[in-house]
Amino acid sequence: MNTCYLDWAASAPPYEDILRASVDLALERYANTSSGHPAGKAAAASLEEARALFAGAIGAAAEEIVFTSGGSESDAIILLSALNRRPPSGKAFNIVLSAVEHSAVYAQAMQLARLGVEPRLAKPGPDGIVRPEGVAALVDADTAIVTVMAVNNETGAIQPLKAIGEAARAAAAASGARRPPLFYSDAVQALGKIAFKPGELGLDAAGFSAHKLGGPRGIGALWLKRPIEPLACGGGQERGIRAGTHNLAGAWAFARAADRAVAGLDEARAAAIELERRLVEGLARIPGATVIPRGRRPDGADYSPFIVSIAFPGLGGETMERALGDLGVAVSTGSACSHGAKERRVLAAMGVSAADSFAAIRVSTGRATNAAEIDFFLERAAELYGRYGPAR
Amino acid sequence: MDSLYLIKIGEINLKDGNQAEFVARLKRDIKRRLRGIPSTLEAKEARYYLSVPAEFDEYAEFALSRTPGVNGWAKARRCAKDMATVRQLAIELMREKASAGAKSFKVEARRSDKSFPLGSYDIARELGGAVLEALPELRVDVHAPEALLYVEIREQAYVYTDGQKGVRGLPVGSGGTGLLMLSGGIDSPVAGYRMISRGLALESLYFHSYPYTSQEAWNKVRDLAVVLASFQGGMTMHTASFTELQLKIRKDAPEDRATLYLRACMVMAADMVAKKRGLNCVVSGESLGQVASQTAENMRFTGSYSDFAILRPLAGTDKEDTVRTAREIGSFELSILPYEDCCVLFSPKHPVLKARYESEKAAFDSLGFRELVAASVDAIETIELDYPGPKGLPKAPRR
Repeated sequence: MNTCYLDWAASAPPYEDILRASVDLALERYANTSSGHPAGKAAAASLEEARALFAGAIGAAAEEIVFTSGGSESDAIILLSALNRRPPSGKAFNIVLSAVEHSAVYAQAMQLARLGVEPRLAKPGPDGIVRPEGVAALVDADTAIVTVMAVNNETGAIQPLKAIGEAARAAAAASGARRPPLFYSDAVQALGKIAFKPGELGLDAAGFSAHKLGGPRGIGALWLKRPIEPLACGGGQERGIRAGTHNLAGAWAFARAADRAVAGLDEARAAAIELERRLVEGLARIPGATVIPRGRRPDGADYSPFIVSIAFPGLGGETMERALGDLGVAVSTGSACSHGAKERRVLAAMGVSAADSFAAIRVSTGRATNAAEIDFFLERAAELYGRYGPAR
Repeated sequence: MDSLYLIKIGEINLKDGNQAEFVARLKRDIKRRLRGIPSTLEAKEARYYLSVPAEFDEYAEFALSRTPGVNGWAKARRCAKDMATVRQLAIELMREKASAGAKSFKVEARRSDKSFPLGSYDIARELGGAVLEALPELRVDVHAPEALLYVEIREQAYVYTDGQKGVRGLPVGSGGTGLLMLSGGIDSPVAGYRMISRGLALESLYFHSYPYTSQEAWNKVRDLAVVLASFQGGMTMHTASFTELQLKIRKDAPEDRATLYLRACMVMAADMVAKKRGLNCVVSGESLGQVASQTAENMRFTGSYSDFAILRPLAGTDKEDTVRTAREIGSFELSILPYEDCCVLFSPKHPVLKARYESEKAAFDSLGFRELVAASVDAIETIELDYPGPKGLPKAPRR
């Protein structure tokens, strides 16, 4: 069967040479990085090498990097740290998050609500982009954390983090906050896809995942400029922020994959914009089909060119995903992590109509996607939509 | 050691004329479910006695709990018909109950051997006294006892404590055969269960609409059929592809008729399959008023596409009762798995509530569905699902 993989945002095919080399490293450097003997020290040295390499990829200092198990854990470490603080006012803390956050942030925030931390949702515009003033309006002296993702995993919307951070800090100061809220971003869909240097965006922390950019699963990182008090503790690894024996081979492969992805960013991005244009223009030739949000322009400016949300109104997204899948085209219905969930929370928050939302699928590309795959997708989708879509 | 099961049969006893046939059917059914297990099954008076090696208790109990025609059963002890032996056994069984935490008990005695010197009342009284003497921590409570001791004096004496309920009803097949229209919902498996327990031997028919419905949805319906197979002792499951019909309905039918016409096509298909298979009736999970389209008028319209009796055992059943039964038979957790978006897609917002018989039939018939239905029936896929036994029951996957 022809296979056409357009689900890179769910998980990217790994860089084969890096993954294989990391297995060799795991076989060789098996000692615990915390052990004092020479084998342990050698493993620790490899880990620090990986840390420095990864830090370089995001324009940060090595000591600002904490290795975690992935994006979700990075998010959880930041959000749960809110439980370790009490606001000076003695009132409950609140956290401000965008309504389009990935479930790793959103569901964690909803759990915090049950533990006494008030979540405040900043709605995006119909374009899926969060407005700085919308965030600022929710921030007060008791806001512990402001968290807005860098690139939305369903629509590709690039959030104006710099402006959001500035507005949030100003709002906190105006409310008499003694210190600004911690400004965090889940940057899982940004790293290696758009230019992303957290230090230049006014962030205090950012979370990353390896398998979205060609690294292995089960490894990620947290960039931390400002100290936090983690809720979970243990053996004190990673400066006490993330306990647990290090995944050395994972960290090593992640650092190399991130380094390579960032080094090839300009080229990959230019290619992705070409594919995005091809996709959006091809879609315009399928009667009824639309990009979400309607009117998105394929120029890579406000949306990651690697992620395009599409609707074939009148034909369920799940049906399209299934039928395409059986023809060898892998796409998904938004977030793979929320598969099976009936509700399309992110699209609903943008005010996308229920009909478009029900019909939405996500096409996401990566470094190896080519024009023939986009064409193959367009042909198959047009065929299926004509056959199974609404009667005309 | 062998375990002895005392089996109570109910309604069969009322069937004077063909009792022998019913009894033979039930015995055959129980034995078939225990195929491969060295067991003996004897029928004496109103009781059957099943013995199996103790390592197969689970299989025997599973079979007895799910075989229609079995009213109840208990793992019993058999002994000689003298009070000293019975007394000893009674104390032994009640000691187990007491150590499991029972504080009160009651004795139920039954004497069908009228030559036995003591009457039921005397047997109960004497055994109650003996148990109290041996186990002073227990007390008698005839209204709400925590443990029940049963004694039956027949050709031998039988003593047991834990009586279990059976499916009741009539042996599978004693009521003829039928075709169940099985979907992935809550109702149709329950409707099937009800008719199986009334003695119908059912085959099932599922309408698959790929790609609108997924492989997971089909798997779920198959699992539901396996649940029914655990009561019926196996099941034949047919799958008809209805995608072309869905598309035609979408193209040709007025939107508010989509559900109604789809159901009419399903009944038409069920009728054809039932005839092809030589079955005697069609079974549907419809319940009056459950959804707006399940009205008497609509049932008249859809039902007119089969000349079989369409049995709708849930027509007058409250949803809560249906759900309770679904939980009891183990179909509920499977039924609520979320694999389906075809209904959402095709269900009209405002379905027609009361089809006007003549005009609706004329409108439906003019669209010419019969050919497509026949093509779908010609292409049905049929699988045989075995009686699953206690190890083969499907479980709802963890989500």
